[in-house]
Amino acid sequence: MAAVAIRNVVKRYGANTVIHGVSAEIADGEFVVLVGPSGCGKSTLLRMIAGLEPITEGEIEIGGRVVNELEPKDRDIAMVFQNYALYPHMTVEKNMGFSLEHRGASKAEIAGRVHWAADILGLGALLQRRPGQLSGGQRQRVAMGRAIVRNPQVFLFDEPLSNLDAKLRVVMRGEIKGLHQRLGTTMVYVTHDQIEAMTMADKIVVMNAGRIEQIGTATELYDRPANLFVAGFIGSPAMNFIPGPAMGQGAGITVGVRPEHFEIADGGLAGRVRLVEPLGSDTQITCDVDGIEIVAMFHRRVAATPGDTLSLRPLAGETHRFEASTGVRL
Amino acid sequence: MRTELSPRLKLALYGLLCVLAIPFVFPTWWMVTSSVKPISQIFAFPPELIPHTFDWSSYADVFRLQPFAQQYWNSCYIAAIVTVGTMAVSSLAGYAFARIRFPGSNLLFLVVLLGLLMPTEVTIVPLFQMSLKAGMVNTHWPLILVPMLGGMPSVFSTFVMRQFFIALPVELEEAARVDGLGRFKIFWTIALPLARPALAAVAIFTFLQSWNLYLEPIVYLTSPEKYTLPQALTQYVDVYQGPMWNIQLAAATLTALPVLVVFIFAQRQFIEGLAHTGLKG
Amino acid sequence: MARRESLAGYLFIAPQLIGIVVFVLIPLGLVVYYSLHEWNVLAGTFKFVGPANYEKLASDPSLPEVLLASGLFSAGLVVFNLSLALLLAILVNQKLRGIAVFRTLFFSPVVVSLVAWTIVWGFLLQANGGINGILAMFGITGPNWLRTPATAMIAVITVQVFKNVGLNMVLFLAALQGVPRELYEAARVDGASRFKQFRRITVPLISPTILLTMIITIVGSLQVFAQIAVLTQGGPGMSTTVLVYYLYQQAFQFHRFGYGSTLAILLFVIVAVLTFVQWQMRRKLVFYEN
Repeated sequence: MAAVAIRNVVKRYGANTVIHGVSAEIADGEFVVLVGPSGCGKSTLLRMIAGLEPITEGEIEIGGRVVNELEPKDRDIAMVFQNYALYPHMTVEKNMGFSLEHRGASKAEIAGRVHWAADILGLGALLQRRPGQLSGGQRQRVAMGRAIVRNPQVFLFDEPLSNLDAKLRVVMRGEIKGLHQRLGTTMVYVTHDQIEAMTMADKIVVMNAGRIEQIGTATELYDRPANLFVAGFIGSPAMNFIPGPAMGQGAGITVGVRPEHFEIADGGLAGRVRLVEPLGSDTQITCDVDGIEIVAMFHRRVAATPGDTLSLRPLAGETHRFEASTGVRL
Repeated sequence: MRTELSPRLKLALYGLLCVLAIPFVFPTWWMVTSSVKPISQIFAFPPELIPHTFDWSSYADVFRLQPFAQQYWNSCYIAAIVTVGTMAVSSLAGYAFARIRFPGSNLLFLVVLLGLLMPTEVTIVPLFQMSLKAGMVNTHWPLILVPMLGGMPSVFSTFVMRQFFIALPVELEEAARVDGLGRFKIFWTIALPLARPALAAVAIFTFLQSWNLYLEPIVYLTSPEKYTLPQALTQYVDVYQGPMWNIQLAAATLTALPVLVVFIFAQRQFIEGLAHTGLKG
Repeated sequence: MARRESLAGYLFIAPQLIGIVVFVLIPLGLVVYYSLHEWNVLAGTFKFVGPANYEKLASDPSLPEVLLASGLFSAGLVVFNLSLALLLAILVNQKLRGIAVFRTLFFSPVVVSLVAWTIVWGFLLQANGGINGILAMFGITGPNWLRTPATAMIAVITVQVFKNVGLNMVLFLAALQGVPRELYEAARVDGASRFKQFRRITVPLISPTILLTMIITIVGSLQVFAQIAVLTQGGPGMSTTVLVYYLYQQAFQFHRFGYGSTLAILLFVIVAVLTFVQWQMRRKLVFYEN
């Protein structure tokens, strides 16, 4: 087990800079999620930790050792790939034991480790199958099994759940989290899905356009987003942004209100209802307030029809203020 | 287009298919049957579609007039070496061009592709001269080395292998790198086993190419015990250089039938393999 | 890391690259060099003559005939081969019991030894051979196919077409099966006839394959040698003396290596120009590549 330090890391492809000097500390045993929209550089950063991409500038340290010049195999990491990357021509057992085999482990040791991992992940019955004969969820488990047999210092996950259907994703989310609690190994996990990030992470690193926007726990990011990007990215449906004057603030201010932080009460914003989406327990209403689209979410049934006018009032203490020009939280 | 056909249309289609099949099937049939007819019968009129007397003497003559077994062996072993060698050369090169980043790889790939533009007929004169200087005339070396390393079949195979490796998910190899493998081991234990379909295609393609070579053997080889099959077949002639048909047909039958039999048992690999190489070309 | 990677790259391509240099680039240079020399092996002469061989080429009275024979052979082969291949592909793409047997039969000559196949056809095409025998049963007197200028070329083309059309057939078959069914269903809903479906959907969608097979077939047709050597030896007259056969005669039968090399350059230029033109066409005409 090891801590990971990322210091002023830059990645350039020719003249094109995709990561602009990012720094982050990942404590030993921590579950850290790198999250951001596609193309933000999160996968590149992960691949630099893995050693699959050379680091242009800066350094990465794993367990107190600078790994910039080390081959992936010498970094003592294991990686779970988005499309699982299981070797199609080998059985599950061979897949899982492959890395140990190449590290000169004895047959008995390999068998022991593989069965240990298979037990944890419930793969015992599948060991003699080939990847082509497995379902998506089973392949995902084998990919994790392959990672854990080696007992590495750090696990790296590159969008491991994005090829699964919604239901299975929730199950696997739980399994990965459970695995982390059981093994206690440092995990770095990349996803574009903020729900995944919020539910799994000890610490979330929000990235955008090759820079880190904010690092914090799920609650911190939700309660105190550092800027407009994080405010808009974390939380679903996304936070509403309202120009200051409409909320009795200055012109250089943008006010953010989360959809779930509105109540229908006098003295609020007069919104013309455009769309009502009943979700069973909740009701989501899209209104038009002087040309601005506002989404409000109520944890109850609301009897409204398009064309009605509602008065939407932000809950006290639940508004966020940002400087409009820089996007920074005030 | 694959909708249910009416019975009448079906019948018409079967008729058309049978008629069209004649020029594909009849020559082979005629070759085999004529080779066992007595010499007096092979030009008989009306043509005898099914022989009723058998005369195996042409087969004895095949081996009596030329060292045919030796020639058969020559063709077999040359084709085998060229096939295995080409698989090795082109899978290595194809892999490097698909996967390994090294300075000048694009330019070098273009240079290699030049080999595709170059029918061997263009370079046959200097290749003959070079073989002469190297003491390789009337040996099998030119028939082995040229197709395997630089000829059209090898370049084409490299191209096929490269296309295949490009399509192979790169994550598999990254996983192998994380698992601790170096370049050659990744190639050998991950990429190559997965390339079996492409390798099969390359093998079939190169084998047939080598098996069919004709211009090269007649340019390089001068003594009968060095001849390859295609060249040997045309040597069964009488004193007036007229073909001894029954013997030529017997030798042709011996040449063609084994490959045909293998084809019938492994036709899927043959057809898909050759379609594969063609498509990617 | 990067250096070891580069080294691996060079090692992997080394055998192929050495082969290309030794067996393609150096010979190509030598062909150019030889073509500037008068070189008769029998007479033992080798002297620099500059462009004399090229002047000789331009005024060679046989050249127009050779080029005509090559052109006729290539054009005839491509037209006959591609149309038959497409017809066969459409036929074996039908839902018929036992259709796989026909596919196998049409493909089988591809794996028959080229010279063996040619010998059998040579045998069949004799004046008193099997084909004329069958024609005679219907009261038709067939020509001496390989000894009549008008039929010799047709015979040579035919032999070659039936040998290799199966290959193009399976390429077309794969292309036909790659056309999404929904397109035909949509066209039927739109009321397009079978013929219209073929013209408006099938042909455009398989056009990359048509062009590809055309390139392969034309380049292959320029290399035809064994069939000519076995069936007609270029005759009767010069009627089937294609460029490669002429090159072989000049270099290896008349031992004129200098002039043979000049012919090789001509062959190379023709192949290069044709390939270039076809790649340009591919860019302009084929819109459906993914």
